[in-house]
Amino acid sequence: MEVSWLYLIPLLPLAGAAVNGLLGRWLPKAWLYAVALLVVLLSFCIGLFAWWQVAHIEGETAQLRQLVFTWFSVGSLRVDLGLTFDRLSGTLVLVVTGVGFLIHLYSVGYMDEDPGYWRYFAYLNLFVSMMLLLVLSDNLVAMFVGWEGVGLCSYLLVGFWYDDDAKAYAGRKAFIVNRIGDFGFLIGIFVLYLYTGQVSFQTLKVAPLSLGVASAAAALLFVGATGKSAQLPLYVWLPDAMAGPTPVSALIHAATMVTAGVYMVARLSFLYVQAPGVMAVVAVIGILTAVVGALIGTSQMDIKRVLAYSTVSQLGYMFVGVGVGAFAAGTAHLITHAFFKACLFLGSGAVIHGLHGEQDMARMGGLRRLGLKHTAATFFIATVAITGVLPISGFFSKDEILAQALNTRAFDFLTLLPDPSSPRLAFLGPAIYAIGTVTALITSFYVWRCYLLTFEGEYRGPPEVHPHEAPWVMTLPLWVLAALSVVGALIVLPSHHLPFTWEHFTEGVFARPRGGPPMERLPELVAFGIALVVAWAGLLTAWSLYAPGRALEGDERIARAMPRLRRALASALYVDALYDRIVVKPLWATARTLWRAADVMIIDGLLVNGPAQVVAAVGSVLRRFQNGDVQRYAAVTAVGVLILVYVFLVRG
Amino acid sequence: MVGPLHYLFLGAVLFALGGVGVVLRRNALIVLMSIELMLNAVNLTFLTFSRFPLVKSAPTQAGFLSGHTAVFFVIAVAAAEAAVGLAIVIAVFRSRASVNVDEFDTLKF
Amino acid sequence: MAETVLFWVFFAGVVVAGAQVILRRNPVHAAMSLVACFFFLAGVYLLLSAHLIAILQVMVYAGAVMVLFVFVILLLNLREEELSRERVTVWKGIGALAVAASVGLIVVFALRTAYSGPVRDLAVEQLPTGFGTVKAVGRALYLFSVLPFEVTSLLLTVAIVGAVVVAKGKI
Repeated sequence: MEVSWLYLIPLLPLAGAAVNGLLGRWLPKAWLYAVALLVVLLSFCIGLFAWWQVAHIEGETAQLRQLVFTWFSVGSLRVDLGLTFDRLSGTLVLVVTGVGFLIHLYSVGYMDEDPGYWRYFAYLNLFVSMMLLLVLSDNLVAMFVGWEGVGLCSYLLVGFWYDDDAKAYAGRKAFIVNRIGDFGFLIGIFVLYLYTGQVSFQTLKVAPLSLGVASAAAALLFVGATGKSAQLPLYVWLPDAMAGPTPVSALIHAATMVTAGVYMVARLSFLYVQAPGVMAVVAVIGILTAVVGALIGTSQMDIKRVLAYSTVSQLGYMFVGVGVGAFAAGTAHLITHAFFKACLFLGSGAVIHGLHGEQDMARMGGLRRLGLKHTAATFFIATVAITGVLPISGFFSKDEILAQALNTRAFDFLTLLPDPSSPRLAFLGPAIYAIGTVTALITSFYVWRCYLLTFEGEYRGPPEVHPHEAPWVMTLPLWVLAALSVVGALIVLPSHHLPFTWEHFTEGVFARPRGGPPMERLPELVAFGIALVVAWAGLLTAWSLYAPGRALEGDERIARAMPRLRRALASALYVDALYDRIVVKPLWATARTLWRAADVMIIDGLLVNGPAQVVAAVGSVLRRFQNGDVQRYAAVTAVGVLILVYVFLVRG
Repeated sequence: MVGPLHYLFLGAVLFALGGVGVVLRRNALIVLMSIELMLNAVNLTFLTFSRFPLVKSAPTQAGFLSGHTAVFFVIAVAAAEAAVGLAIVIAVFRSRASVNVDEFDTLKF
Repeated sequence: MAETVLFWVFFAGVVVAGAQVILRRNPVHAAMSLVACFFFLAGVYLLLSAHLIAILQVMVYAGAVMVLFVFVILLLNLREEELSRERVTVWKGIGALAVAASVGLIVVFALRTAYSGPVRDLAVEQLPTGFGTVKAVGRALYLFSVLPFEVTSLLLTVAIVGAVVVAKGKI
């Protein structure tokens, strides 16, 4: 259905960004807050209205569309700025604007004392606008604009406190690592355009693609997703991105931007099902990222880094979901994760706020009884949600992904080698399930560790710091997000038990993977049981090591039992050092060589200074003729005239 | 009978005298006067061509007299040039106590 | 006939006075020679029926410009020792020879061809009415060269201001 007001959804926050960015310095604070919050709230309301309409249209055409304008038209290539509001993008619009609004509200409390608050809110509005463009755009090029836009905002906000070198460096790192991924994304778009001449989803959907083209494009686009969504091997920027203000970590680096890769794969499900090999790669990368992120998360001391690695790990789960063809499960986890991870991050922000900037869990503890009641309670709910010890949102969405991985038949017909007689990859699904279940155990362990170290036991911080609870503008979003973490379960309850389920709701959006419908390899209730047992095992392990009163004994015991593993995990498996050695250093060396050889010698020396030196040398000879004697000049002129007269008059 | 060539020849001689004066004399004042001589040689040539036009040249009254208007402007410009030139000579004489052009050679290199 | 005689008289006057300008050591003598040269030239202009220009030659050149020269000469008040001896260098010789040679070549090769077609002697075939008079030249100036004429006035103003600024030293 064509409508004419869809453009308002991304435009309003953009206008807010313009107002706050250009005039914010001179606006009264209250006005600025009002503008920043209202534009997001209005977008949310429009989104809700649109969503209501879309929810009542049945079938594959359950979407609102608007062609805002034709962006450019070159030869056969025509790129429109078109928006599509269907059940997937629509729900994400609600998540982005809803969670975004809560985080804007929270930021009012968190950033109130920062002198750069107006800059902050302008960036945040801009981010929301770009994210909405990414989600709503109906073609790859416009999506890429949003994709780069959110990357820019991420860079600006990670390096928000740019006078701190480490933070500015983290911003650059995020930007550059993302750039590597975006390069793949861009090449992926080029490949699709080269072979189909199309960039819009609608036409690509029906365009015939060979297996090779589909695989190449899907793989290249997935490279972009690994950058944006912090997957192996490009996840390294996300933990460093915690340098930004905590609400930014919640909004950009947990709830929305980092899930753009998952969204992109889900949006292009029609492309990915044509490239089953790439889907297997997506699932494998996802599960490896999940387990690596969870392992590193067990040994971090910085509360935000724990959550960052947790995000990396959870994003891995989402990629497992879309990789095994369970696009609905992957995106459902995207949504529930947005709720409980935002809640966790905002909770950690409230803790950092209450401890005046302290982020080290070694100097926290017992905060629940030191006044941070609301923070502790909401953090607890979100922890329950992510670890799945009780069947609320996180439990169902994660379990659904694992169950789909176990049951999928998307890989049954794949072979390891091109030779048709080589072993089939049917074992891949169950293997992913096994690793995923172990990862769930680790997840439960480290998130509970984080909770116990922060909120239970005795306070270990310096006595002159008096923890205090955050103002209501910060606790209110916490409670809303905690409530959403609980009721979020509604959309992910197992499919055949309720009339309304996410899977049914988005039926028309996703393509079906090849290999046929999933088969039940394990009864559903058994899977639930295993998941519950695993979650409780993680909780009990964490309790045995970090029970109230034991303080940091648990960490010491682990360090004694397996010192090398612990050290490796605490240093994030030395991946940063490794990248430094194999990528950054050689690049620096190459750049330095090129600088010395190409730039200084050839360009500066030969091409720039060379002509100058020739001119100077010629000039130093020629200037002898200019001796300042006017009469000499007149004489030379006369000689010149004589020559001209001779040439033109006598000989000519 | 005096024809146009006579006048042109006089102009050429006068121009040569001026040119030689510019190149040879050291005294800046005399150099300026030589320049005036050259300008007058040109004026003479203008007037000659105005008085002895080629057959197919300008038929109108204004066309006949365009040489005169040119001379008029040359005189005006020459007056301006003399004023500024003499002012420069005075200024230079103040700082250098000399009017010899071959000593004014700082405008070099 | 009288015209021929007058021409040759003026011719001799112009050449002799012009030569005096560049040969005299004393600038005052040179200036006086220049005045004389201008008077003879004005005579030549009259022979060319350029009445207005002849008058202007006497009034502007011989009158105004030369007075300016003489004033400056008096102002500088060059003493004998300051009128240093002429130095003839190689370049000066070359320059003078080049000037003379150029003009000579032009006289030999160009003057003959300056009038490639038949020449109209306006005096012989009846001069146009008022040729060279104030009225005719003024009409030509104001009808066909108004803009240059006005710009000339601007130029003279600028020259006056410039001369004052340059010569005054301190303002």
